[in-house]
Amino acid sequence: MAAAAAAARGVPKRSEVLWLFRSLLRTARQFSDYNIREYTKRRTIDGFRLNRTLSDPDSITSAFSDGKAQLEVAKRQSIIYSLYTPKVKSIMELKS
Amino acid sequence: MAAVGSALLKHLRLRVQVQAVPRNPSYALSFSAIRRRFFSEDVRGSFLDKSEVADRVISVVKNFQKVTPNANFQSDLGLDSLDTVEIVMALEEEFGFEIPDNEADKINSINLAVDFIASHPQAK
Repeated sequence: MAAAAAAARGVPKRSEVLWLFRSLLRTARQFSDYNIREYTKRRTIDGFRLNRTLSDPDSITSAFSDGKAQLEVAKRQSIIYSLYTPKVKSIMELKS
Repeated sequence: MAAVGSALLKHLRLRVQVQAVPRNPSYALSFSAIRRRFFSEDVRGSFLDKSEVADRVISVVKNFQKVTPNANFQSDLGLDSLDTVEIVMALEEEFGFEIPDNEADKINSINLAVDFIASHPQAK
């Protein structure tokens, strides 16, 4: 992946950060559990917003690699959770 | 709290038997409190329901001039690139199809979003 290789070299560019943001949100969508899905979306949005004003290259790079590690965790967990979906959906997903 | 509850219960029982203003002055406050809460309309009717107010405020804000069909997310609506990505994701969910990353980066205004989605055969 071009973005992953570029990030390994140095400070991630804006397009790479946006790629990470979008991948995290897409992975969040794949969770079958309502609570985890909403939490992942909320956490990525809050996390990216908190770090929006970072200017130090080291902190930017470490935040980016933290984000990539979390993306890997989320991808694995979405597969595992989908193996054990409960039959009953959360009340928030029922159309009222 | 329990004392108030038992006082209320005792008082209610008294009312059934006596059918008059209670003679015991220590219960007078709770009786008038009950009357104010359940029987008087002027205390309840002066405030609007909060959810109704919220709906009306939101619809007024939505009609605000800035949100036009030509509005650019970043220059007119003051959103940053994270907000733009969020909006594109919400559009993907609304219309039920995936927008590839390179196309999604180009969607910077309402017009572009409308054109892109209208020209995509998989939009539901």
